[in-house]
Formats: sequence, C-alpha cells, structure tokens
Amino acid sequence: MIEFHLDGRSGVAPYMQLIHQVRHALRLGLLRMGDQLPKVKDVAAGLAINPNTVLKAYRELEYEGLVAARPGVGTFVTGTLDGGSLAAHGPLRRDLQRWLAKARRAGLDDESIQALFLSTFRSASEDVEGTGRWAG
Amino acid sequence: MTWLTWRQFRAQAITAVAALAAFAILLAVTGPHMASLYATSGITGCHGDTCAGLASHFLIDLTSGRGFPLLPDGTNAYVILYFLSVLVILAAPAIIGIFWGAPLIARELETGTGQLAWNQSVTRTRWLVVKLTLIGVAAMAVTEALSLLQAWWAAPIGEAVGLGGSASIMSEGRFGYFVFPTHGITPLGYAAFGFALGVTAGLLIRRAIPAMAVTLAVFAAVQFATPLWIRPHLIPPNATITTIEAAQANIFPTGGSTIAAPASRVPGQPGAWITSSGAVNAAGQPVTAPAACASALPHLLGPGGSSRWDNCLASHGIRVVVSYQPVSRYWPLQLTETGLLLALALALAGLCFWRLGRRLS
Amino acid sequence: MTAVIETDGLGKRYRKLWALAGCTLSIPAGHVVGLVGPNGAGKTTLINLATGMLAPTTGTIEVLGGRPASGPAQLARVGYLAQDAPVYAGLPVADHLRLGAHLNPGWDAEMTRHRIDQLDLDPGQKAGKLSGGQRAQLALTLALGKRPELLILDEPVASLDPLARREFLQDLMETVAEQQVSVVLSSHLISDLERVCDYVIVLVDSRVRIAGPVDELLATHHVLSGPRRHLATLPAGLKVISASHTEVQSTLLVRTSGAILDPAWTVSEVGLEDLALAYMKQATGRGHRHRHLEVQK
Repeated sequence: MIEFHLDGRSGVAPYMQLIHQVRHALRLGLLRMGDQLPKVKDVAAGLAINPNTVLKAYRELEYEGLVAARPGVGTFVTGTLDGGSLAAHGPLRRDLQRWLAKARRAGLDDESIQALFLSTFRSASEDVEGTGRWAG
Repeated sequence: MTWLTWRQFRAQAITAVAALAAFAILLAVTGPHMASLYATSGITGCHGDTCAGLASHFLIDLTSGRGFPLLPDGTNAYVILYFLSVLVILAAPAIIGIFWGAPLIARELETGTGQLAWNQSVTRTRWLVVKLTLIGVAAMAVTEALSLLQAWWAAPIGEAVGLGGSASIMSEGRFGYFVFPTHGITPLGYAAFGFALGVTAGLLIRRAIPAMAVTLAVFAAVQFATPLWIRPHLIPPNATITTIEAAQANIFPTGGSTIAAPASRVPGQPGAWITSSGAVNAAGQPVTAPAACASALPHLLGPGGSSRWDNCLASHGIRVVVSYQPVSRYWPLQLTETGLLLALALALAGLCFWRLGRRLS
Repeated sequence: MTAVIETDGLGKRYRKLWALAGCTLSIPAGHVVGLVGPNGAGKTTLINLATGMLAPTTGTIEVLGGRPASGPAQLARVGYLAQDAPVYAGLPVADHLRLGAHLNPGWDAEMTRHRIDQLDLDPGQKAGKLSGGQRAQLALTLALGKRPELLILDEPVASLDPLARREFLQDLMETVAEQQVSVVLSSHLISDLERVCDYVIVLVDSRVRIAGPVDELLATHHVLSGPRRHLATLPAGLKVISASHTEVQSTLLVRTSGAILDPAWTVSEVGLEDLALAYMKQATGRGHRHRHLEVQK
C-alpha cells in the first residue's frame, strides 16, 4: 500500500497533492489494478488532514476512472495511466531538443523559455479541458 | 452523580469520620469516671433542698481533678474537656462551611473543572441538587452526632446544674450562650446554614480562599449576634414585676442617677432564661435612683452596704421588671431558631440554584 | 443539511463592553469548522454561548436545534473540551472515565478504554501528573465518550508542544473519520486549522468577518497584482478586502464570484492563512493597532 505525504509549502492544495501522488504511483507501477488505496481514516490520521479532503481526492480519481469505491470495504484501483507508448517518447524528445536550440538562437534565456513554455502549456490545457479552472 | 459527589467528597468524609472518632474516644475514656462520681454523690434519690448542695458538691469534686486517670490531682481536666467539646460543636458548622462549602463551586470555577463537570449529560441544576443534598445531610449528621455525643457525656453535669448546683463555670443552663446552640436540634440548623453560606460565598466570590474567609466572618457574626439580639425575641418573652429581693437583683448605678438592675431569678420560674431586667416603680415605669438614697451609695461596697442600698430603694417603691423565657419555652425556641436557620439555608441554596443555573459569566 | 449551530443577531455584553456582537451564523453539520481570530476577538465567548455556560445578551443561539445546556438530552449530544484541557488533578485517569460513565447514559466504555490503551495512558496515574498533551488527549476522550453529534474545542492545541499538537490533531481527524462527528474548534494559530478545517469563521473584534466552506472561500478570493490603479476604476462585483500600493504597483486581495478578465492583472491564488490575515487586518484598521497574532508555518 502506498503512503501519502504533504508538502505544506508547495502552494498546491492538499487534495490535489494526493491525486498527483496516486497518479504518480500508478505511472511508476507502485499501484496496480486491484490494489487498495489507504483508508480515508488512516490517511486523515496519518497526515492530520480533514477526511473530507481525502474523500474529495478519491472521488476525483473515481471520476477520472482510475479508482472505484466499494462501500464498507475501501477504494481500489480500477484503471491505469498510460504514459503513452514508450515508442512515442524518442521522437518527441528530439523535437523538443530542436525547439530548444531554436529558442536559444532567438536569444531567449532560461527563464523566458520556461515562461513561454508554461503559458503556452496552460492555455493549451484550458482549451483542451475547457473548464476555465485557474491554472495550478 | 452520587458516585461523583462521594468520590470528590471522600477525603473530607474520612477526615470528618476520624474527627468524630477521636471526639468519641476522648469522651468515652473520660465518661466513666464522671459517671461513677455522679453515682456516688448521692444526687440520685435526693429530695428538695439537699439536691442543690449535693449537686454543687459533685461539680466541685468533678472539676478539682481528684483521682482523674493519667493526670495529676488538681487539674481541671473536666472543665477543659467541657469547653473544648462545646467549642468543637460551635465551630463545626463554621469548619464545614469553610472546608466543605466554600470550595464546592469555587474550586470548580477556579480550576476550570466546572467546564468538565457541567458538560456531561447532567444539568448544572442536578449537579448542585445532588451535591447540596448529600453533603448538606452529611454536615448536619456530623454536627448533630458531635452534639449528641457531648450531651451523653455531659449528662451528669446537666442534671447537676438543673438541680441548682453551681460553683463552676460549667453552670450555664440549657439557655446559655454556649449551651443552646450546641444542644437539642439547633446544631442541625447551624450546620445547614454554615454549609449553605460557604457554598454561596464560593459561588459569588468564585475563588476558594477569599470565600473561606468571608464564610468565617459572616458565620462568626451570626453566631455572635444571635444570642444577643435574635434569640431573646424569637418568641416574645414574658415579663413580670417583682421585688428586688425576689429577683435577686444586683442593682448598681451606671452614671448620674440611672441604675441597672440585672436579675438572676424569676420567682416561681426555676431555670428560666432572663433576657433583660430593669428598675421600675410600682406602676411598671422605668425609674432612676431617688435622691434620698444617694447617701447609701458611698458605702455600697462596704459590709452590709448593698443591703442598705437595696432597702432604701425598695422603701421608695422601686421594683424590678424581669423579661424572661420560661423553661417550657426551651423546645419552642429550639424549633424556632432551627427553623429560621434552615429557612436561611434554603434561601441561600435557592440563590445558588438561580445563579448557577442561569449564567456563569 | 441541518445546521449544528445557528445564531441570529447573537451578542454578549459585559458591562459596557460587547464581547460578541451581531453574530449571525449557520454552521452546517458534517464539517470540521475552524473559528479563527486574535485573542480577545470573541471566540471563547461564542463557544461559551454555544455550550450554555453563558446566556446571550441579545439574539438567539441554537445548537443541534435546541437551546444550549437545556437538559440532559441536549447536553448528551454536545462534547466540549475547554481551554487548557481542565481535569481533576487529584483524580486518576480511570476515575475520570468512571466520571464519564456515571454522568452520561450514552457512555461508550469500551471505546474509551480502548482509546486510553492506545494512548498509552496509565489508568492509575493522577491526572495532575500527566503532560499537557496527555491531558488534552484525556479530555478529548472524555468529550468523545458519550458519542456526541457535535464536538466543541476551545483552543485545544494552543499550549501544546509541536509534537503533541500534531498527535492531537491526527487523533482528532481519525475520530472524525470514524465517528462522523461535527467539530467546531477555535484557534489563534491559523496554520493548525488549514489542514484540518473545511469550514472557517474569522472572528475579529467581537464580530464575524467572513464565514464559509474553505474550498468556496479559496475559490472566490484572489490576489491581483498589476500597475498602480485607483480602486474606483475596478469593475463592479469585485470586493476589495485589502489593498497595498507602491508608486507603480497595486496589490489587491479581492473577493469575486466571476472570472477576472482584465489582462493587466496577474491573478494568483490565496492561501487560507493569508485570507484570514487580510480579513483581520481589514477589521483592525490595516495594522495601525497591533494585535497578538501567531502565524507559524
């Protein structure tokens, strides 16, 4: 069973941190199909956070189709996170390296490159998801 | 709630039982000697005038300390014991008020434990009802037990004094300052009042030590004031006008021509409690010393001087008016005083219920 | 959802001073509610009114639908842990449990025994000899033993060391998860409340400044920073909670239900602590008077 931790200084809401950690565990294979997530009571007690926060994270994961709650028993993993086929990673990495070289030739420094990437990434995510949620 | 009252009261209860036991042991150890003295004094079965003499003889014997176990001859052990025991009964309600009453609510407020006790599933009212009832009854029981023990022990003395015996300072009659509040049922009243006084002080003052001080002060004031100003008038006293001689009045001048006439006997009323007396004329009006008797004054203290003075006054028609409570009024007075004290205690308890139940700010 | 505490114009006055005024709240059930504010703001007064220790001067208060402390049934539904966790110093731990058992018909003896075991408390030890954290845990056990629907805690961790504080809050959260009890807890340490509360009430200078679910409050408050602007030029529907200006820049904390479309503003989220602080500053006049606040990360 995985164990959660919270970074009080990250500025990310606790429930989001829990979601990220579950997804991360799924990607790394620490959580597999059928595994049980820690009980809400145990997470709340371990981290000293409101049980509703844990419930919210678990509900969100359930909405994304990654887990399913079985009343009286617990919450179990029902989906996987595809990192995309590894085959796609190679060409994507080469494209990215080419783009970075172009940006440096144009005179952008590290911070400008990051700002450009983040703002483009964010507006692209908003377009995709269309929820109007604040970035974060 | 009963369990909690007992658990919090346990230490005080043990102290009280220990004190009662010590008291009882002390009296039990010294009782038999007094009883044997009484038995050999010949008072039982005496008749008429001989009784007073025998009674006085017994009392002198008792207080001279002859043959008292463990102590040298001549020690006034019984006088000491007598006054000590009466003092214990007098002080018990005050001690109860201070150590059982004052901390009852005050400590809960001071330490904050009231917030624990009063947020269980019992209301503050019920909490107070159980506490006041159980500890109040214990207070009354302890005080009355002390009184009964002492009465049993001092019975021979009481009999002797009742028969007219005197010659010691234990000769207060049943109406005496120290005797009346420590015998009969008045100890119950004083215990209830002292306890209720302590609890109320603790609630109003909210801190135990100041509440203890206030309880002591108020209770002492009440014990001081009652025999002087309240008890004599609980039932309106009777009054009779009689001669100086019959009243055994010891008339003396108090400045100018005013005279005081303290009487020590009411003719036809043996054992009566004299609440006041004064010099009056035949018609019952207050008088001052006639000028004609002024000549007898300088010789007042000399041999035969007082009887010359008395004769002079009597020949001018001066009599004594004596206000008194007859012996038959003993129990009515006891009931009235106890009733008054219990009513006061209930009123104080009512105040506590009102204050505690409404707000604690 | 039913309200655990409902007040209407609630006020309490001591002689000339209003300790609490104009308090109108409807605290929903099923939450851990944080009552936050500087010392002397009125938190303990509100709590004392909720537990029936005080009677209101004006207005009304209803707890779980009934008048506070109005009878044994009402008392049985509300658990209370007073400030500094008062316990009977001379009474051993076991006798405290007996106290609970005798005074509460709904007492869960097994659960409390189990808790004492788990907390490693010696039943025979006198409560006065316990550490601050242990006393708080004992007092919490007593408050929970009667299985209340609502648990009220007045500054439960204020005098505890950080480890004891963390353990207490862990324990409290585990209990909330297990027993479905609503909790109202007050603190002047906002950082304690952030992880634990999902509903917050900010009380400053005897008045409620803001109250609501934490998620909603955080979603509707934003920090805007941008070129210096006069406040009057802001669009309607934007309520400014606090503002600070330099010659060239303005930084505002605003409350709004809609989106902020003006591209001149950089919009960021605000944390609960900063939000509460902003309301406190607003209430006390922008820090002209210094109030005793503790903010720790």
